[in-house]
Amino acid sequence: MSKQGKGLWRRLEEVPREILYLLIFLAIIVPTISPIGLAVPIGDEARAWYSTIDKLAAGSTVFVDFGYSGGGEPELGPMAVATYHHMLQKKLKVIAMSTSIEGPLLFDKAMAELGPEKYGSKYGVDYIHIGYIAGTETAMAAVGKDLRATTSTDYKQVSLDQYPIMQGIKDASSFQLLICFTTGGDQSEGWVRQWVTPYKTPYIANVLALMIPTMLPYRKAGQLLSLTAGAQAGEVELLVKVPGRGIKSADVISMTHLLMVAFVILGNIAYYGRKASGG
Amino acid sequence: MAADLASVIQIWLAALFTIWVVSITFKDNVFFKFAEHTFVGAAAGHNIVYGVDNVLRYGWTPLTKGALLYVVAFILGIILYTRYHKKYFWLSRFPLAVMVGLGIGLSMRATVTAEFIAQIQSTAGLKILGVDAWTGFSNLLFIIIVLAVVYFFIFTFPSAHKGNLGIISKFARYAMMASFGYSFANALLSRFNMIFGRVDFLYSSWLPLPGAMIALPIVLILLAYAMVPAQKRPWPKPSKSS
Amino acid sequence: MSLLVRRQLPILIVFVAALLVMIDYFVKIPGTGPAVTDLQNWGIILTAFALGFGAVNLFYLHTRHISRRTPGQWPFSIWLLVMIAVFAIVGVALKPTSKEYSWMYNASYFALSATVYASTGFFIASGVYRSLKVRNLEAAVLLLAGGATLLRNAPVLAANVPLLISLDSWLSAVPTTSAQRGIMIGASLGAIALGVRTMIGRETGFLGRLTEAERGK
Repeated sequence: MSKQGKGLWRRLEEVPREILYLLIFLAIIVPTISPIGLAVPIGDEARAWYSTIDKLAAGSTVFVDFGYSGGGEPELGPMAVATYHHMLQKKLKVIAMSTSIEGPLLFDKAMAELGPEKYGSKYGVDYIHIGYIAGTETAMAAVGKDLRATTSTDYKQVSLDQYPIMQGIKDASSFQLLICFTTGGDQSEGWVRQWVTPYKTPYIANVLALMIPTMLPYRKAGQLLSLTAGAQAGEVELLVKVPGRGIKSADVISMTHLLMVAFVILGNIAYYGRKASGG
Repeated sequence: MAADLASVIQIWLAALFTIWVVSITFKDNVFFKFAEHTFVGAAAGHNIVYGVDNVLRYGWTPLTKGALLYVVAFILGIILYTRYHKKYFWLSRFPLAVMVGLGIGLSMRATVTAEFIAQIQSTAGLKILGVDAWTGFSNLLFIIIVLAVVYFFIFTFPSAHKGNLGIISKFARYAMMASFGYSFANALLSRFNMIFGRVDFLYSSWLPLPGAMIALPIVLILLAYAMVPAQKRPWPKPSKSS
Repeated sequence: MSLLVRRQLPILIVFVAALLVMIDYFVKIPGTGPAVTDLQNWGIILTAFALGFGAVNLFYLHTRHISRRTPGQWPFSIWLLVMIAVFAIVGVALKPTSKEYSWMYNASYFALSATVYASTGFFIASGVYRSLKVRNLEAAVLLLAGGATLLRNAPVLAANVPLLISLDSWLSAVPTTSAQRGIMIGASLGAIALGVRTMIGRETGFLGRLTEAERGK
């Protein structure tokens, strides 16, 4: 092949990263400004997530870990909001804590987006947050063993005795379901070790998509009843019939993923083209 | 009115920080450095806030209600900071020992059941016969991969990976490559979701605010200018000592 | 005597604490329950105390930059310490659930944290173009699995090509789960071994800096 040909393949292989970033920006910005409304299939895990919560009787108590950080909020926040919509629709009692240091503030953010008043839900009666507890697995074990011995106040430092929702809540056995929203493997795996293994608490986890592979063995062994990625928020929003930020991202995810496939194909064409041309 | 103004300023600040952080994908610049140092400072400050909050809620409150033994926890907590002392650094080993011992006990007691026995039980419970051919094949492959990967990690001496035994290691590596490919694709999904979250914030919350559409190109021009090497910029001049 | 106190006593504390927690889980001995409950609560308090380490380390590092007037760094170091002080003072004085603290958090920390995580996506995507090449069979396997998952993760394709969903389900249920399970079993054995070694004093990393006398033992 001529020198020109070799140069062309090399230039294609070494496209400046600014051009790659620009293409990614366009793939994100265009569907954001002008949504296409592409289809969103509902997967089995999203259905399992929905049905696990849906099977609970009204008045059942659910324990939630707001264990994600600000970095994971764009992915996990929509899922947390959609799940709370479902739980409050079902009139479940929801007691939350945080193993993440940003958890209480992100709980406030989620509640502001959710608007619990529309379901007639009241703080302290239908839902509550007992605060960030340091120590990850130490905190999980302490709360599971004896919640009232671990903490006596909620995240606003008001006595738990003042809240009707806390009546009869002692330890892990007081809860019919454990839900974890987290960006940390320590948390998602920690709950399996500290609650599922000793107390057999039914457990569902929502994690970053990149954490799914490490949690799959627990799912296969039945230690998790459902394992979803935050990116599946749109599917749960469709099931709960409350569209939100999750469904908005579907178009962008479609476009960016198609772009990534194009990147892989082009990158390999350039690589093999250069090799074939003797470069 | 004040609440509205506070919200507007909050959105403006968040938007500026968002744009400044993204600028690092192109080149390091003074705006990114400012955002970076803001982040690190805020994170450290936030840790102090919740550290104090937790000490008061889980330590001071029980202490004032009669759990006098919690004084020991307070003393141990303060002793943690002797690690910065040249002579008395060894005192910090005691609170660390409590934390390490607690952590080991909590994780080990359940790891055996959750990550060893339960996983082996689940693998051994897979049916190869009495199911359709594809399910049987998939389950057999599953068992073989688990055994091969465990073999790969447990037997680390070189002869275990040579000759005919090397086939097991090779097979384990291919299986792990498939797993890593799956992980990698999910990592992309995660990150693009996060990027969309920030773009959506800029588009839905910031740009509709008065002045934002005008500010955006100005911010981008200033960023581009900040990325020009200091020697080529008319202002500010690089300091003589740098 | 000194070595006994400085080195052996912490190891003994690790052993006793770990053993107590494990005994409470496997065997119900009267008295261990409340002791372990208190120990766990102490663990929470100690972890809370440890949250200040980041700020202390940053303080040491950045005051050095300020005193030495490190070019291009020292003004940022001052700003960083100011941020630590502002967050700490407002959060401790007004409580972290106050409107003021929440405003500060949403205006700065949250936006920065979310964007830092998100911006790594650009680097990964650029890496996809430059590095994800079929150079050998292992890379081909990685690419095939990754490519199939990428296609399935695009909702528009998954909705119109059901085969992608079946393929992705199989990839996730068989090679991914089995490989990760193998890694998990190996890692859990390693964790158990490390835990036992730490309990009996063979692993002394947590002791930190060792003096000559302590190392010689």
